[in-house]
Amino acid sequence: MPPNRSNLDLSDSDYDEEVDVDDYDGGRKHTGKTKGKELPKNRDMGLGGKDGYSWEATYTRTWDAVQEDEGGSLQNAVEDLLARGRRRRLLAPTGAIRRTIIRHLVILIDLSSSMLDRDMRPTRFDLTLQYTREFIVEWFDQNPLGQVGIIGMRGGLGEKIGDMTGNPQEILKTISDRDKLLPDGEPSLQNALEMARSSMNHLPAHSSREVLILFGSLTTCDPGNIHDTVQAAISDKVRVSVVALAAEMKICRDLCNKTGGAFGVALNEGHYRDLLFEAIPPPAQRANPSTGGSALSSNPSSDLLIMGFPTRIPESSAPSLCVCHSELKRHGYLCPRCLAKLCDVPTDCDICGLMIVSSPHLARSYHHLFPVKPYQARTTIADAAPETCGGCSLAFPVPRVTLSDGSASGVSPVGRYGCPDCQKDFCSDCDEFVHSVLHVCPGCS
Amino acid sequence: MSQSAQSHLTLILDLSPKQWHLSSLEPDGQALSLLSFITQVLAFMNSHLALRHENTISVLGAFPRKSVMLYSTPGANDSGLDSTAPQDANTYQPFKTVDTIVSSRIMEEMESISDSIDSPTGLVGALSKGLCHINRVINPATRSSIESSSPLDPRMLILSVSPDMSTSYIPIMNTIFAAQKLKVKIDVCKIFGEDNVFLQQAAHLTGGSYVALMQRNALLQYLVMCFLASSSLRKIVAFPTHDRVDLRAACFCHKDIVDIGYVCSVCLSIFCSPVPVCSTCRTKFPVKTLRRFGFGPPKAVGNGTSKSGSATPQ
Repeated sequence: MPPNRSNLDLSDSDYDEEVDVDDYDGGRKHTGKTKGKELPKNRDMGLGGKDGYSWEATYTRTWDAVQEDEGGSLQNAVEDLLARGRRRRLLAPTGAIRRTIIRHLVILIDLSSSMLDRDMRPTRFDLTLQYTREFIVEWFDQNPLGQVGIIGMRGGLGEKIGDMTGNPQEILKTISDRDKLLPDGEPSLQNALEMARSSMNHLPAHSSREVLILFGSLTTCDPGNIHDTVQAAISDKVRVSVVALAAEMKICRDLCNKTGGAFGVALNEGHYRDLLFEAIPPPAQRANPSTGGSALSSNPSSDLLIMGFPTRIPESSAPSLCVCHSELKRHGYLCPRCLAKLCDVPTDCDICGLMIVSSPHLARSYHHLFPVKPYQARTTIADAAPETCGGCSLAFPVPRVTLSDGSASGVSPVGRYGCPDCQKDFCSDCDEFVHSVLHVCPGCS
Repeated sequence: MSQSAQSHLTLILDLSPKQWHLSSLEPDGQALSLLSFITQVLAFMNSHLALRHENTISVLGAFPRKSVMLYSTPGANDSGLDSTAPQDANTYQPFKTVDTIVSSRIMEEMESISDSIDSPTGLVGALSKGLCHINRVINPATRSSIESSSPLDPRMLILSVSPDMSTSYIPIMNTIFAAQKLKVKIDVCKIFGEDNVFLQQAAHLTGGSYVALMQRNALLQYLVMCFLASSSLRKIVAFPTHDRVDLRAACFCHKDIVDIGYVCSVCLSIFCSPVPVCSTCRTKFPVKTLRRFGFGPPKAVGNGTSKSGSATPQ
């Protein structure tokens, strides 16, 4: 039984712990950090430089990294830091070509009274609702064929808030009313997990089953043995990830480790958002133990699906009956096999049973499969190098003396980044844009 | 009108010599040569610049196998051309600058094309460069180099003559989604040839319009009537909408455009016929499913594998 929240704040348990979660793709690492949410205490600050306590070793004094230039301006230093942040994000490992793309996710939101805690502004509860909304929008943007359901944990029960649906607007509507979701009582991990598991029972084997828990409490109030539920989740191949708002709990960590999910404890508002949004890119498929040679080994969760790409009929066409609601409508989609008129895609054709998706739905996830190679930071300007960026065709920034050696963090001192394939140079803005939004190298195509 | 933002137009000219040659050989009344195309487009560009003093333009050319930024307003002051060009009292200097630079750059690039006349144009390159440029121009954090403070309303116009290149399906879709994120409308004017499935989708998904020319010799009229209005005006004026949008995709194995496809559940690669192994992610599909699609017993599998094995798209 973990300590009560109020005890933790009062005690001097200001310890940090760095734990690497061995993700199966070896890519994502989380820093689980458990500490009281109070401001750093003054008595600790003096020990910062010495080999004192282990929690101070990783404490970076950000103000030391910023240096004024000759003119006393901070602009260069700030730009430098921004560029580093960008590069760090971009240099995160790519690869892992096998990813689950037809996803099903249940979000378990803790609605216990601990969510009223004000350590995150305005309250944990309000922040969670706000982030969940942003998360859902972004999630559907990247996983257009996925479905999301929401379950709340309140008063010792699991409470279905939103049914599994592929429509982001419907889901957003279910969590739009704050007053209906007001936190109360104790959370129950087991009840909510069982509910999530049973709601995903009917799914075909090729789709992923994922649970994302936003957990603010340090207790769970369960009717039975939660380890049985964990075992059941493992056997059902449900992947459970937890974002804890208070501190690390053994049961949460175990749950994530055993089911292949990610675990993280939010340090502050921004970190909470980062942890949450890490769950957006599709997870890599659990690779078989022998990867290289037996690449052709059969995977039970894979299947070949037959899909139809419809023709869209515009609003201006003559009204006709749709097969799904038998209503007169102008707008619709034509099934390519039986030419039945459907109201919306993606769906299954009611007449011939063909799965109808619009090809842009599929295409949205292709950039996960064929990522642009990371650009290399150029350290010097070659003689024949062009004066303008290969992407935006604007002039490169004038090289300036950087205050600190940028090569370690992958920042180019001359502000140029080169594509390993087409050997063209790009500015740092285009570098970020190409890798995070565009997903096409302007030079190679 | 005073509230409308200044608009930035990114014009992408499809300059495939082969297609333009074919276009000029059309029967009379329909023939449109490259030279007359360029004069009409220059007039359109001038009218865009004339609409509002702050309006900016950038012009990209998609040549065989490459794409070039021909002109862009913000950077024009740096180029030495406008200082050397003789002043003409009878023309408005900005028009003159645009016209000279664009036409001379097109001629330069056309001269340098030697053997690759047949190869597909660098439309994707032009699209992605245009988006990179728009990203730089609208992003306030990096706006220091460009002196303007009012919000920009960027849009794109593609003047296309080439047929669909199904090899570039994925990059084109990626650029479309990037344009969606930047809220850039992509308009497409199909000047010559068959309808482009991908460009139709581009216009449909970004909220632009796709117009195929009926009367090729009236190009300028089409351009002015359909594409000159900024997005704030489009709510008011009757704007051409496209009737049917073809939402088909290109299969990964033969790059054919298909309406019913076989899709790998792991990576969503599309195939035009059932395959035993996904060529993208190397997933092996269950025999049961393959049988159901009439693929045949696994003995015949070898044939299909060799066909699809090396067909991973770029």
